[in-house]
Amino acid sequence: MDALINALLVGNGADSIAHSQRLLHAGVSVERIVIEGIEEAMTSLDEKCTVSQFNLLEIMLVGRSVTDVMNYLYPGGSLPAGSKDTVVLATMEGDIHDLGKNILKTVLMGKGYRVVDCGKDCPLQKLVDVSEKESPLAVGISGLVTSIIPLVKQVRGSLRARGLEQVKVMAGGAALKQSSAERLHVDYLAETAFDGANYLDRISGGAIP
Amino acid sequence: MPLLKVTWQGRQRTLSFESDPSLREILDTTDSRVRSGCRGNGRCGLCLVQVEAGTVNEPTENERVGLTQEQLDQGIRFACQVVPRHDLWISIVNPAPASNWKSIAMHEYFSPLESPTIVNTQRQGIRLSTGVAIDLGTTHISITLWDMYGGKRLTGRSGLNQQLLFGADVMTRVVAANESVERAREISQLAVDSIGEALFDICSREGLNPRDITHVSIVGNTPELALLSEKNYDMLLQPKFWTRQIDCQPGNTRPWSVAWHVNPHAVVDIISPLAGFVGSDLLAGVLATAMTAQPKVSLLIDFGTNSEMALWDGFTLLVTSAAGGPAFEGSGLSCGMPAVAGAIYKIEHDEYSQDFTFQVLAGTDPKGLCGSGMVDLIAYLLRAGALDRKGKLTGEMPSEGFPLLKGSRGIVLTNRDIDIFQRAKAGIGAGIRLLLKSADMTTKNLERVYVSGAFGRFLNVKNAQDIGLLPRVQPHSIELCGNTALAGCEMLLVSPDRLIEMESIRKRARVINMSNHSEFEELFLENLYVKPMETD
Repeated sequence: MDALINALLVGNGADSIAHSQRLLHAGVSVERIVIEGIEEAMTSLDEKCTVSQFNLLEIMLVGRSVTDVMNYLYPGGSLPAGSKDTVVLATMEGDIHDLGKNILKTVLMGKGYRVVDCGKDCPLQKLVDVSEKESPLAVGISGLVTSIIPLVKQVRGSLRARGLEQVKVMAGGAALKQSSAERLHVDYLAETAFDGANYLDRISGGAIP
Repeated sequence: MPLLKVTWQGRQRTLSFESDPSLREILDTTDSRVRSGCRGNGRCGLCLVQVEAGTVNEPTENERVGLTQEQLDQGIRFACQVVPRHDLWISIVNPAPASNWKSIAMHEYFSPLESPTIVNTQRQGIRLSTGVAIDLGTTHISITLWDMYGGKRLTGRSGLNQQLLFGADVMTRVVAANESVERAREISQLAVDSIGEALFDICSREGLNPRDITHVSIVGNTPELALLSEKNYDMLLQPKFWTRQIDCQPGNTRPWSVAWHVNPHAVVDIISPLAGFVGSDLLAGVLATAMTAQPKVSLLIDFGTNSEMALWDGFTLLVTSAAGGPAFEGSGLSCGMPAVAGAIYKIEHDEYSQDFTFQVLAGTDPKGLCGSGMVDLIAYLLRAGALDRKGKLTGEMPSEGFPLLKGSRGIVLTNRDIDIFQRAKAGIGAGIRLLLKSADMTTKNLERVYVSGAFGRFLNVKNAQDIGLLPRVQPHSIELCGNTALAGCEMLLVSPDRLIEMESIRKRARVINMSNHSEFEELFLENLYVKPMETD
């Protein structure tokens, strides 16, 4: 398991898959690989990623190897029932920078969440439709340009209008971070992808069983 | 090069100099300037210095008239009349008040324009006419004054853009401008004031009459031009406009002419940008390098807060931009600083003594690293194995980072600095690779690479190639050009027929929006690595 964690942390996708394969053959369950391998690696990355040690390349590489392993463990992308909650992610219409959203996606997948990705330049309507279908724990929206702020402000209201008031709305990204949760009409404004993921951990452990 | 020791207002510095310009010209490129009121011909008598040690040329006729025998005996001289050739120690008797503006050093200019071959024949008949070329940059504003009749550059200044008060990057300023019309007015006014200050500095120090200024040409990145004109800056917040044309032509420039004290009938031209994130600074650079006037496959990289790139494949000019932040201008990094006095701009490492040798701008104590110094340091650490290709400091490195200079005023390169630098580099690398891919080419096709912008001419090409900042082509085909945007603006100012050329460049240009390309993320990741750029 330690070998898998190390391979994930140095961002070696091929090695990570090889180690996962070995573990599976040795009879280790997929769930244990996710919880004791991938989640452990993500926690360790979280600790490493203090502001002073943050390195974008490192995170992107870990993200890729985690994605590789997840795709290997769950071919077709569907997590089995009984896994953690679902989170719907989107980069809002008018914004085509989805690097931040993709990092969050990786972190959440690594933590065992089921992630439904609405992609970039996502219209509000699509986000609400997908949320209605997936009944997620939360909706995560990221933005690099401030022009999407008016759209972000409408998300919670639009979800409520469809009777989805239990769905929490979380925002993050360079443009949104400068604002506040109150001003954006969201439930949480995440400083980093890890901060956002920790918030989801808190609320998923709480209100929703 | 000989050394000049300067004492002024209780301070001291030593700088090296070329033995050609006058003492005043040497001092003018630093922040230890001497007072002056004429163009350096010995008439105003304000630029008083005292020779403390060293030999210089005999006093000139103007000095014999303007200085008393007692002064001459004490070694008092006019700085503009002294042409030092050997080591010298002087003190400034009459220092100029502190100013944001300093002369543009010769090495910052793009050379082809230094030859006075551009003579404007269309405006003959006007007795005296001065023109102003302005490169309105996010961090720096560069301004030159031209004798429109003789087609000669009179002088130049560069200084910080006061809009820095509203943010170091243009997006923050654009967001601020969108808050209210009053705020937008304020931000525009800061640019107008900056230009006015520079013109005042030039005219008062060079004994020129601002009323003679009849033409002003301005190039810049699109957000800067939109903010200056107070027009359409709101469009810049919407990505769909980033690849479209944005009108930045001001309504009425008369208030600017009044603020600048130039001729009330002065013609103020804002050279239109190409698109939301491709400014007229890049177009002017293309014009100045004449890259589209020849068939060779060539690439222009204008390093800045918003770096712009243009690839000429012989038929089409493919352009794009990467908002990497001001890392190359040394801002935003704990050990970084702009290329001003105190900036380390060159670092060499001696393998035998294990010592670093620095070159510091204006010869003062080193205070930080500017872009080219950063490139040298990162390349050295990579070679020495102290930095891995992912950009992490390795081995026995103190947790705060690599200490280039120890002590209380130490200079430390942190992991975070490297991360910021990597991101800025990755945007440019991805841009270059994407332009080449769009033209169905690789770096092997590149016959010429022009490098302009913040690096001036200090960039160590090999180091830049080692860390993947510049493509791996023959080093001799890389030309460090200094400020090409300003050079192009000067061409447009002095030879209006160049506008036709500019239009043809515009027609041949195609804007590539990087974030619309599926390959972007892959290329960005590839170029985050601190390693030579891929060649395929």
